[in-house]
Amino acid sequence: MAPSTDIAIVGWAQTPMTRRTDLSETQLLLRVITDALEPLGLTRADVDFTCLGSCDYITGQAFSFVSNLDAIGAWPPKRDSHVEMDGAWAAYEAWLRLQEGDIDIAVVTGSGRSSTGDPSLIYPMEMDPFFLAPLGVDPVTFAALQARALIAAGITSERAMAEVAVRSRRDALDNPDAQVANDGDVDTLLAGDYVREPLRRHDLPPITDGAAAMVLATGDRARRLRERPAFITGFDHRTECHNPGYRDLTDSPSTRIAAQAAGLGTGPVEIAELQAAFTHEEALLRRALDLGDDAVVNRSGGALASNPIMATGLARMGYAANHVFAGGRRALAHSTSGPCLQQNLICILEGDA
Amino acid sequence: MARFVETSIVFPYKRSLGPVIGAFMTGLTDRRILGIRCGEQVLVPPTEWDPATGAELSAEALVEVGPAGTVESWTWVPTPSEQHPLDVPFAFALIRLDGASTPLLHAVDSGASDALAEGMRVAPRWRGARTGRIDDIVAFIPGEEPELQGDDAGAASEPVTMMDYDAAITYRNPVPAVLDRLREASRDQRILGQRCPVCARVYAGGRGYCPIDAVELGEEHDVDLPHTGTITNFTIVTPVQYPGQTETEPFARVFVLLDGTDVVLPYQPVVELAVSDVTVGKRVAAAWAPPNDDVDEGGTMGGAYGHLIGWIPTGEPDIDDPDLVNRIF
Amino acid sequence: MSSEPCAIVGVGQTHHKSRRHDVSFGGLVREAATRALDDAQMTFADIDAVVIGKAPDLFEGVMKPELYLSDALGAVGKPMFRVHTAGSVGGTTAIVAASHIQARKHERVLAVAFEKQSEGNAQFALGSGRGASLGAGGAFAPFIRAYIQRSGAPEHIGWKVAVKDRQNALKNPYAHLKIADISIEKVKESPMMWEPLRYLESCPSSDGACAVVLTNETGGRAAAADGRPPAWILGASSRSEPPSFPGRDPVRPAACVRAAWDVYEQAGITNPREQIDTAELYVPFSWHEAIWLEGHDIAPVGEGWRMIDDDETALTGSFPVNPSGGVLSSNPIGASGLLRFAEAANQVRGAAGEHQVAGAEVALAMAYGANSQYFSTWVVASSLQPFG
Repeated sequence: MAPSTDIAIVGWAQTPMTRRTDLSETQLLLRVITDALEPLGLTRADVDFTCLGSCDYITGQAFSFVSNLDAIGAWPPKRDSHVEMDGAWAAYEAWLRLQEGDIDIAVVTGSGRSSTGDPSLIYPMEMDPFFLAPLGVDPVTFAALQARALIAAGITSERAMAEVAVRSRRDALDNPDAQVANDGDVDTLLAGDYVREPLRRHDLPPITDGAAAMVLATGDRARRLRERPAFITGFDHRTECHNPGYRDLTDSPSTRIAAQAAGLGTGPVEIAELQAAFTHEEALLRRALDLGDDAVVNRSGGALASNPIMATGLARMGYAANHVFAGGRRALAHSTSGPCLQQNLICILEGDA
Repeated sequence: MARFVETSIVFPYKRSLGPVIGAFMTGLTDRRILGIRCGEQVLVPPTEWDPATGAELSAEALVEVGPAGTVESWTWVPTPSEQHPLDVPFAFALIRLDGASTPLLHAVDSGASDALAEGMRVAPRWRGARTGRIDDIVAFIPGEEPELQGDDAGAASEPVTMMDYDAAITYRNPVPAVLDRLREASRDQRILGQRCPVCARVYAGGRGYCPIDAVELGEEHDVDLPHTGTITNFTIVTPVQYPGQTETEPFARVFVLLDGTDVVLPYQPVVELAVSDVTVGKRVAAAWAPPNDDVDEGGTMGGAYGHLIGWIPTGEPDIDDPDLVNRIF
Repeated sequence: MSSEPCAIVGVGQTHHKSRRHDVSFGGLVREAATRALDDAQMTFADIDAVVIGKAPDLFEGVMKPELYLSDALGAVGKPMFRVHTAGSVGGTTAIVAASHIQARKHERVLAVAFEKQSEGNAQFALGSGRGASLGAGGAFAPFIRAYIQRSGAPEHIGWKVAVKDRQNALKNPYAHLKIADISIEKVKESPMMWEPLRYLESCPSSDGACAVVLTNETGGRAAAADGRPPAWILGASSRSEPPSFPGRDPVRPAACVRAAWDVYEQAGITNPREQIDTAELYVPFSWHEAIWLEGHDIAPVGEGWRMIDDDETALTGSFPVNPSGGVLSSNPIGASGLLRFAEAANQVRGAAGEHQVAGAEVALAMAYGANSQYFSTWVVASSLQPFG
């Protein structure tokens, strides 16, 4: 169904992406929300709805999002929500909420400090609590098994994966906000040891602390706030069954369904920002999305350059919006959650013709 | 450079298993592995529902599979984590047990990564004392023949319905600079607050920002707060026991409105004040630990911090003001 | 373009208990979901999207459980959305699910909320694993002391609510606490837990789940034509305010009042006491009934307790509150908010069974969370224009 109201991204901001920050999550959000609003001439008082995305187990505290309310200026009290999901899903909720037609401006955030705990000990807790979590099976293990399946199916290779790593981190040299940027060499990388065969260090994302905030506005308001808003012309997300053992790891049907529901197929995209935190996922997602060779993927450096968990997907939407802000016509943003790309979100952004 | 503190979240969860997973776990104690029929397929591990449609699957559809199977895929784990089933390098593998349509993920103890190959046959190494957990299988080993590790304690005498899951994660968090200043000041028996330059509200407890104006507060906004105040409200908590609980007797947490300010310190401990003597309007003063004492980093919900260990009665008469009780924040 | 009308056409819940050791937590959630689907005469295949809510993941020790529960809830190939707004989460889950309909994104949405408290320990989780956890009662007791002193209410008000809700629970087959011999004496003699709150004035700790099927105007009208009256959402709002600042009033929180006003404005309610027939209010501790009657302008400030004293909020009173027995009788935390919203829907659908309020056409539901900071509110009615 077509959206009943035009909704656009009109601005966004991200904190510096770092291996470890001294700032609390609330402090990160205080800064990044201000940074997103100020260039638009908006204050927190102009914001009709907020939706924050974060995760207690990343933060290491129950109700960790409650203190983040201090960052949104919720006085007088705000229309507000919180998702235990990446900020891209917070944007999805705001997109739905704005379509109800009674409010104009929403701020959404994603925030996380992955540096505080050991990911290999935290992430097993999101796996099947009976058969997988007790074995300490972490997503890197499953990513490795998926990479192996993709290599066996001829969809990618260890060399192609290293090429993705080199390209992403080389592109990141042009991105002042990227955490990991360098001019690497494929053969050198391929000489490295496996972390989880067939994944080497370069196939994995960095550990990143950071947050992102995004401003969404309804049609006319959006056009007044920015010359060229990034209109959301399609937005959808889908899930798959949880246990990767039950799935065909060489496919990503949820990505395909979400893309179809978001109307991706009605025309080409110029750029795509994919939350491919592991190098092999890019090839799989490209196939599932049927992206043409002319689509530029992860020009920002992607999640391989900075991976602020719970904000990585929202940042993909931000980079895709940047493309439209700068005159681009059509861009795609993708986010994901769960082992082996269990859940996938697709957002299509377009500028006025 | 910030100081970091470590906190651990450790909890022994007790999971109920339900009919299907319970039967599977019970089977493990008897060194049998069960799958469940779902249409044409046999799913291993079994689920209570068809993963594709959500349709209910009954425990009556359980069938025995394996115990040997074929490695379909694997990845080598060169440095096991504390949560992993083995403390030597091993493989996590997708193993299709004989008779199953889907692979089971488990560990394979093959000694070295080059001993592994897709298509290799493996069989379970059973734990001697089995409790009905997925790690009753210590790991799979190359070959067709199951092994037993240790003396066989036999099958469970009753159906297994529950499973222990011990979660333990340690987090390392930076201490905000303002909290360190508070702690340092408390060593000198000073209570610091911060005044918002926009709205002039003063905040205690080292928050580092004003939630009303959403601005950060720095060292330049620090102000000294008085050491005396009045209890405005309180709670007496009868402690419930749980892992990590430190209290056994009822304890008080009081709200202290500091003299001459608009600042309430919430949920503060009291010193030399019996639970039965806590009243609204009672006059109190800050109680301090000796400067060289090691002090707790502070509790939850606005508990006292640093060398400020709580509030002690001054002996002055109670304040009789009916509005006091409303000063919770 | 105005938003699409949204109807509730299916409601389901589990039998709430201290320990549902007979089911896995996936099985628990499915129990509520399949009952809601049966009530709506649907199956998982009819559902376009699932919205799930629960309180902190630390309660069960499963991070982002929506991942594990995707296939349990028949969500494969569909959107699966996870909400978490502390204790209000069940209410927010319903509101976010409704948003999917109101924005015309989907036609049939399943909202599910749950908690399986017996897998862990709420006091532990509320204190994030540290000692001297105050628990919710310890955190809220000072608010209640302030209310009592401010309003001058006599102490038996709390006992009366505790008795009334447990008596209502005897009429609710799903309720956790069934205290057949509940009495004022029994409540006032129960142990003091968090002064001034006694044990029987406090909510239990429950395993349980609740589910609701929401649909658009066409779906709602089709159900009505089929003799299955829907509940129509007249207004819904979620509001939040910061945890603490000098002068913040947790007894009449502004976020509560504003959310109520949002909803009344959307619904065209100008006199809530007269226009609303019954309410399911989130009352984990007895005194919150008086506090929220005032917070929603059903009673004037300082007068909410009088409605209780006069038995107006009893099942047979002029303004029944928590006919289901409320949170005081069943508290699967994450689901408790959705239970309020679902029970309100059942009242206006005439589907509440033995605890049905006679002639209920307009019902209010609310849930709150954290330090009385997160509020979710909706008003549902038996028709889209109940006020003519």
